[in-house]
Amino acid sequence: MTATLVTDPVIDELIGICGPDNVFADKSSRVNRARVPAPFPVHRWAEHVPDVVVLPTTAEQVSEVVKLANRHRIPVVPRAGGTGLTDGAVPLRQGIVVDVKLMNKILELDLDDRTVTVQPGINMLKLNEELQKYGVIYPDDPASYPCSLVGGRIGTSGWSLIGGRYGHTRDLVISFQIVLPTGELIWVGDGGGRKVRKSSTGYQLKHLFMGHQGTLGIVTEAVLELVPRPEAEFAAFFSYPDYETAWRSTGALARSGLATLAGVVLFDEWKLAYLRRDDEAYIPQPDDVRCVVATAMYGTTDEVRPGAKRLLRIGKDTGGAYLGDEISQGDWASRHDRYATPLHGRLRDGQVVPMSWHCEDASINWTQLPAVREKWHDIVARLGDRFRIFDDWGMFAYTNAAFKPWGDYLTEIDVGIWEQELDDEAWDAWVTAKRDIAAVSIAHGGSISACHGACRAGEVDLVPEEMGGGWDVMKKVKRVLDPLNIMNPGKYLLDQAYEDGPS
Amino acid sequence: MIGFRLSAQRPPDPRRINDVVVQRIEHVYEVDPALMRDHFQQHDFPAWDTRRIVDSRWEHLAWMHAHWADSVVSGEELMSTEE
Repeated sequence: MTATLVTDPVIDELIGICGPDNVFADKSSRVNRARVPAPFPVHRWAEHVPDVVVLPTTAEQVSEVVKLANRHRIPVVPRAGGTGLTDGAVPLRQGIVVDVKLMNKILELDLDDRTVTVQPGINMLKLNEELQKYGVIYPDDPASYPCSLVGGRIGTSGWSLIGGRYGHTRDLVISFQIVLPTGELIWVGDGGGRKVRKSSTGYQLKHLFMGHQGTLGIVTEAVLELVPRPEAEFAAFFSYPDYETAWRSTGALARSGLATLAGVVLFDEWKLAYLRRDDEAYIPQPDDVRCVVATAMYGTTDEVRPGAKRLLRIGKDTGGAYLGDEISQGDWASRHDRYATPLHGRLRDGQVVPMSWHCEDASINWTQLPAVREKWHDIVARLGDRFRIFDDWGMFAYTNAAFKPWGDYLTEIDVGIWEQELDDEAWDAWVTAKRDIAAVSIAHGGSISACHGACRAGEVDLVPEEMGGGWDVMKKVKRVLDPLNIMNPGKYLLDQAYEDGPS
Repeated sequence: MIGFRLSAQRPPDPRRINDVVVQRIEHVYEVDPALMRDHFQQHDFPAWDTRRIVDSRWEHLAWMHAHWADSVVSGEELMSTEE
C-alpha cells in the first residue's frame, strides 16, 4: 500500500513538468474530480478528493508525472471525461489525478489507410464534426457521446450503441500508446504496426490494456478506425402488449442477418412504466403498450431502404406495432445523448424528489434475459422496501456483440437514488444489492459488466469468481507492471496482488 | 429583440393527462403540481421560455440526425409503399 506524500516540493516538481498553469491544488479543482456518475458515497465525499490535479499536454509530461509518483510512492489516477458509470476515475487513496482533457488534438488523418490518430482527451462528437467534411466517421457511440473522451473509452473498454454494425471501442481503437505504471511509453495493438487491424505477432497486448480502469497506465495517443459516413439512418420502435412477445421479437430482429442493423434495444415493463410517468415521448402511449423494442440501421441508402422494409415486416410478424416516425426518430436521436436528461424520481407515495441516475449493467445471453430480469427487479424491490431513497426505473437490454447483433445483451437496470439522503446504512444496503445483482449475472452464465467495468463497490467482490483462474493471472500482471502499486491503488481488488508486500 | 409581453409570461391553464401528469403546452408534460409539494416545488416558468426550450430540443434532435447520416428514412413512408 502506498502513502500520500504530496508535499509542496512535490507540487513544485509537478509544476516543473507540466507548467505552472496546469497544476491545481485548490479545493474546487480537486473536489470536482473526486467522483463520476457511478454509484458514489456522497456522504463520504472527502475520502476521495485527490491531493493535486495535473493537466499535461504531452505523453512525455505524463511519463514524467508517473515517474515522479514512483519516486515518491504517490497514487496516480487518470481521468478523461469523468463520465464513467463505474468508478475507475474515482481516487480511492487521494494522490495525483492526471486529467487528460488538454490532450485533445487530432494528430493525423489518413484517408488512404482509413485511420485518425488522436490524443486521449478528444471527444467523439467533436472529432466527428471535424471528420464529417471528409465523408468519414468514428462510430463509437456511448450514451455519453457528447461528453466522454477517447481515453476513458479505452479505460473502460466501452460499449457502443451501434456496435452491432460497427463494433465497440476495443474493435474501433486499432492501437494506442500507453504510459506504463513505471513511466515507460509503449505502443500496443494487434502486433506492432500502428495502423494494422489484424496481426498474429506476439500476444494481443491491446486487449490486455483495454478496460484497464487506470490500474495499468495512462493512454496518451490512439489510432482510431474510420468508416464511411452513413448516407441513411433508419430507426423503428415497436410496441408490444407483454414482455414475452417483445423478448421473442427482439431475438428475431437481432438474428435477421441484415448487415446494416446497428442495434436492437428491449425496454421492459418497468421501463415503460417509468417512461410513461416521466418521459414526454411515452406519456401519451395507450395502456396496452407494455414493452418497446427499438431498432436502428445505418449505411448506404441502397442498403438501408430495403433492409428497413424487411425489418418492419419482422417486427410486425413477431407481434410488434410500429410506433410511428416521430417517436422512432426522436427517441433514437436522443439515445446518443442520455447524460442530458434532467433527473427526478418518486417516493412510493408519488411525491417527487431529486434523484441521480445509477445504472447496473451485465452481459447476459438472450435465453437468460427473462429470468435475470425477474431476479434483478426483486433485488431492487427489496431494497426499496427498506429505504425510500431507491426507485426502480426499469431495464433495457441492448444487443452486445460486435458486427453481429445477436447472442448476448448489454443488460441494464436503472435505479434512481436520492443521494442527499444516503448514509452508511443505505450505502451498505445498496452495495449489497449491487453484489446480489452481479451474483445473478454470474449464476446465469453472464458477465458482471458489458460496458461500465466491474470495479464498483459490491460487484467487484465477485470479479475473482467470474475470472476463475484468470484472476491469479490478472494479479500477476498488475504486480509485474506496477511493482509499487502506484496506478489507481485499491481499484479492482488489486491490492491482493501485493499481499506479501511490494515486489 | 422582443420586449416584455405579459401574455407571453403566463402559461395556459393545465389539462390533466393522467393521474400524475398535466399539460399546458404541446409536447410539454408536467408532473402534477400536487406531487411536487413535500420535497421541492415547481418553479414558475414563463411560457415563452418553455417554448424556446421545446424548439431548442427539436433543433437538437434534427442536428443529431444530420450529425450521424445524410438522410433519415421514414418508416411510415416505407409502410405506405408496401401496401
